Amino acid sequence: MSIIREHTQATLTDIWRTIDIDALTEDSSVNFPVSTLVPPTVREVTEPEARQVATQVRQLLRGGDAEGALRLALENPVYATPTGHELAREVHMQTVVEVLQGIKASEMNGVLKSIYASPGGSECLDVLMKYLYKGMASAGSGSAPKTPTRVTPQPTGIPSQFAPRPGANPESVGAAMSVLLSWHEKVVEVAGLGCIGRVMTDFRRV
Amino acid sequence: MAAPEVHHLFHAPIADHSFSADRNTVAVARDTSVEIYKRVANSFKLKDELKGHDKTVTSVDIAPNSGHRNALVWEPTAQGYKPTLVLLRINRAATFARWSPNETKFAVGSGDRLIAICYFEQENDWWVSKHLKKPIRSTVTTVAWHPNSVLLAAGSTDAHARVFSAFIKGVDSKPEPTAWGERLPFNTVCGEFMNNSAGWIHSVAFSPSGNALAYAAHDSSITVVYPSAPEQPPRAVITVNTHLLPFMSLIWNGEDEIIAAGYDCEAFRFRGGEDGWQLTGAVEAKGRPDQDADQREESALQMFRQMDLRGKVKDDTQLKTVHQNTITHLRPYETSGGYLTKFSSSGVDGRIVIWTL
Repeated sequence: MSIIREHTQATLTDIWRTIDIDALTEDSSVNFPVSTLVPPTVREVTEPEARQVATQVRQLLRGGDAEGALRLALENPVYATPTGHELAREVHMQTVVEVLQGIKASEMNGVLKSIYASPGGSECLDVLMKYLYKGMASAGSGSAPKTPTRVTPQPTGIPSQFAPRPGANPESVGAAMSVLLSWHEKVVEVAGLGCIGRVMTDFRRV
Repeated sequence: MAAPEVHHLFHAPIADHSFSADRNTVAVARDTSVEIYKRVANSFKLKDELKGHDKTVTSVDIAPNSGHRNALVWEPTAQGYKPTLVLLRINRAATFARWSPNETKFAVGSGDRLIAICYFEQENDWWVSKHLKKPIRSTVTTVAWHPNSVLLAAGSTDAHARVFSAFIKGVDSKPEPTAWGERLPFNTVCGEFMNNSAGWIHSVAFSPSGNALAYAAHDSSITVVYPSAPEQPPRAVITVNTHLLPFMSLIWNGEDEIIAAGYDCEAFRFRGGEDGWQLTGAVEAKGRPDQDADQREESALQMFRQMDLRGKVKDDTQLKTVHQNTITHLRPYETSGGYLTKFSSSGVDGRIVIWTL
């Protein structure tokens, strides 16, 4: 089906489509409060709390318990709240990326499978997926200077104003992106497409 | 398991389908008309076309026993068939219509953030409607009746599944108290539920006893709610997140099994109870025999011819499932002793399939 509609006798007289029926309704859906879609269980996390989690995660990681570290990081996501601290989210994003980079490619599958099979595991992988997408997004825009996952445009045919900023090493950035991509592949393998769907519908943004 | 009965009616999406009580007639919603098919031997033949809508028909339901009062619903207003007009008093698309089990009322969900409960008023010899409005915040996508014909479950794009009372004075007799509520004046909200990930609701269904509610949301999950007592938090709310694509429709099979289908083009079974629910697998038998046979017959010559003509080894334009596109609705087809023995499904691929469990 084409997006461009065929003009038939019927559609040409579709003037009724331009009527703003919301104008006549008092509490129209235009004012739909999206905050009602965030479950009440979402709690505000402050920056020190996020840093505390980061310390614990690093300890586990240093102790060789990669799965425990990833699990701890994913069980304590920092969601965006109207009054929330941006910095806390940044800190936690960094924690998650650190864990992801600290796990070897050969171990990914085992770690993900054992998390997915445990109670609450599906939720954990949904959170991981959110961080993967966030990582890729901030990498593209370069708006998040704290995340080490910035990526630069391909060198071919890019005007000079889009060239990488001095100091950013395109190779390391590309490596970070490839870490995210390989995690993404593995998560979809374990948690399926449902996981992507949930990230898109969820109003709890990381 | 017997092979499913497949009827490919046409090459256009089926928005909804409904069988008559004797299962010899099926009504399907196709574009702007409702087509009535009658069973002739082993296939369905087009018998009648109900026109009169100038917008897409979104839902169709035959009252299970009387079978002669279809509610045709369309945008921007709606009417009943045969040929009584029902004033819904809505100015947005009607999205979903269902008869109550006792066939005295029907509910129409709409984009106007309300549900119209329609009933026949004896005094005026006229179908009228009452609106369930609060606290719906967005388009109503689906409704389902409780077996007592008073309670109504509704799912909406505001990600909430709700249970309302649709008690109409003079039409309904006072219902037995249930776990959902005791006193039930019109528009009592008996329950309001949302998933953590807030996907919008595609389908709701009460269990055969009416003591549990299941709903499917766009976050690829199904959730089962067990109420405890009126005004109390539910005994158990169990959400099953799946690795699949979202489900469009679900039906109960007894109290311990749910069958759900949607964007994955095949139906899946869930088993469980108050202690937990689990996805147990697909309804379709794996390794469908007819397709295996096809593949074996493929000779080496065929294979190279395919590679030459299309540049590939296998013809993979067909899905391995019976439905070749999203399943829009599931309906019980035949029951025995409270359990389903057969159910039907309709899809965007224009097929109606009758499954034997």
